[in-house]
Amino acid sequence: MIRLTQIRKSFGRNEVLKGIDLTVSKGEVVAILGPSGSGKTTLLRCINYLERPSGGQIEIGDLRLECKHPSKKEIHRLRGKSAMVFQQYNLFKHKTAVENVMEGLVVVQKVPKEEARKRSVELLEKVGLGAKLDAYPSQLSGGQQQRVGIARALALNPEVILFDEPTSALDPELVGEVLAVIRKIAKEGITMIIVTHEMNFAQEVANRVVFMDQGAVVEEGAPNELFRSPKEERTRQFLQRMTPEAVYSI
Amino acid sequence: MKLDPAFIWTAFVQLLSAIPTTLEIAGVSVLCGSLIGTAVALVRIYRVPVLHPIASAYVTFIRGTPMLTHLLLILFGLPMLIDAAAESLGLPFRSVSIPMIGFVYISFSITEGAYMSEVVRSGMLAVNRGQFEAAYAVGMTTPQALRRIVFPQAFAAALPNLSNSTIGMLHATTLAFAASVVDINAKAQIVAATNWKFFEAYIAAALLFWGLTFLIERLTALLEKRINSYNRGGVA
Ligand SMILES: Nc1ncnc2c1ncn2[C@@H]1O[C@H](COP(=O)(O)OP(=O)(O)OP(=O)(O)O)[C@@H](O)[C@H]1O
Ligand SMILES: [Mg+2]
Repeated sequence: MIRLTQIRKSFGRNEVLKGIDLTVSKGEVVAILGPSGSGKTTLLRCINYLERPSGGQIEIGDLRLECKHPSKKEIHRLRGKSAMVFQQYNLFKHKTAVENVMEGLVVVQKVPKEEARKRSVELLEKVGLGAKLDAYPSQLSGGQQQRVGIARALALNPEVILFDEPTSALDPELVGEVLAVIRKIAKEGITMIIVTHEMNFAQEVANRVVFMDQGAVVEEGAPNELFRSPKEERTRQFLQRMTPEAVYSI
Repeated sequence: MKLDPAFIWTAFVQLLSAIPTTLEIAGVSVLCGSLIGTAVALVRIYRVPVLHPIASAYVTFIRGTPMLTHLLLILFGLPMLIDAAAESLGLPFRSVSIPMIGFVYISFSITEGAYMSEVVRSGMLAVNRGQFEAAYAVGMTTPQALRRIVFPQAFAAALPNLSNSTIGMLHATTLAFAASVVDINAKAQIVAATNWKFFEAYIAAALLFWGLTFLIERLTALLEKRINSYNRGGVA
């Protein structure tokens, strides 16, 4: 389980997160929606401390961290509990697909190389890249790179996988293959927080949808409810802009 | 004046015996310089308190003064320091027992460290921030991320500069004559001293340096091909 309590973050005088509370149960898939600049990326990055929150509390599994003065060790433990799939993939450029997936297992979790390799190959096969094990990121399409990124996250067997707009850097014809993979792993009961602009996908795959605006959670609820009958005016406006038809064509 | 081509060859053969000295000085300086340079670059990139201004001062001072000056300062300054320290500690050790080449190693390493720190820094800055973040996201510590992810990519990016710097140091070893160390160049002078055929001897030295430089260039090209296979899409 993940519990965020009153997460705050400011860049200089610009308060980007204004006290976010969010609880995600084990196995739940939560989609975060919201207009550009609302703080979605920043929130995700706070959860694994790529961004240092200015205040609040993060709880993941058995770890509870006060954001004010965490020790290096606590930050390290926190990062060990989550994995991240980046908008720009961020695969290790100098490592092949299978080495990318193995890296965390071998270096961080100290899994013996042979076993790590075996598990990594299995995961790459699962995301449909069994034929690209030894390809470098520069030899892969965006969709393939992102699927390696997902396999890399899965390999760590984290409490939660954080997705930051995993398909928004992709050509439209490549979006489908990545969403298909995420859909598949969502069914396996892996806890996920997904920031996305793909409304249909969010509706289909998420157990819960959270709508953020200007650094705060405006509204959250089951996808059907939130998409069909949003309570807040801001949510309604956003949804109308994003999906003129999808809201009504369930 | 008449050129004596045969003596160029004679000198060339005699110069070969000085190759180890030249390569040792260049090798030690580049190696120690890389270590110093990496440390200095990290201190500057991470803005380590206290050390950061010292590192910056080191780089500006060394790069702002000639290499021969560094050697002379070390040659005349360091023995005094060592003797004073040994005396005050009551140790029997005296600086005269240090071979001259030791001072050359120290001085050239200090020089090279300053230049190398900029090579390392530019290499590190060439690595995308996302690489670091991905390393953290899979749970690596900063040293792990540096060693496994950032340094290999920085090395690849810095390789052309590194090669340049190494060649520069190879040629700069000729300054070691100031410490009475016999490198290739000093050896040429000695060889020519018997018959005054300096021109021929220096031509031989030039050819020898050219050959060594060529080797470094080939080595770099090989290394570059291996390391950068991931950039160009070839599989090593
Ligand atoms: N490193 C930073 N320094 C300063 N300001 C930042 C930084 N990162 C983000 N911000 C600001 O924080 C706000 C929220 O940014 P964030 O990237 O979290 O938005 P987002 O909801 O992910 O938007 P998008 O949908 O466009 O990705 C923005 O106003 C942005 O300018
Ligand atoms: Mg974003």
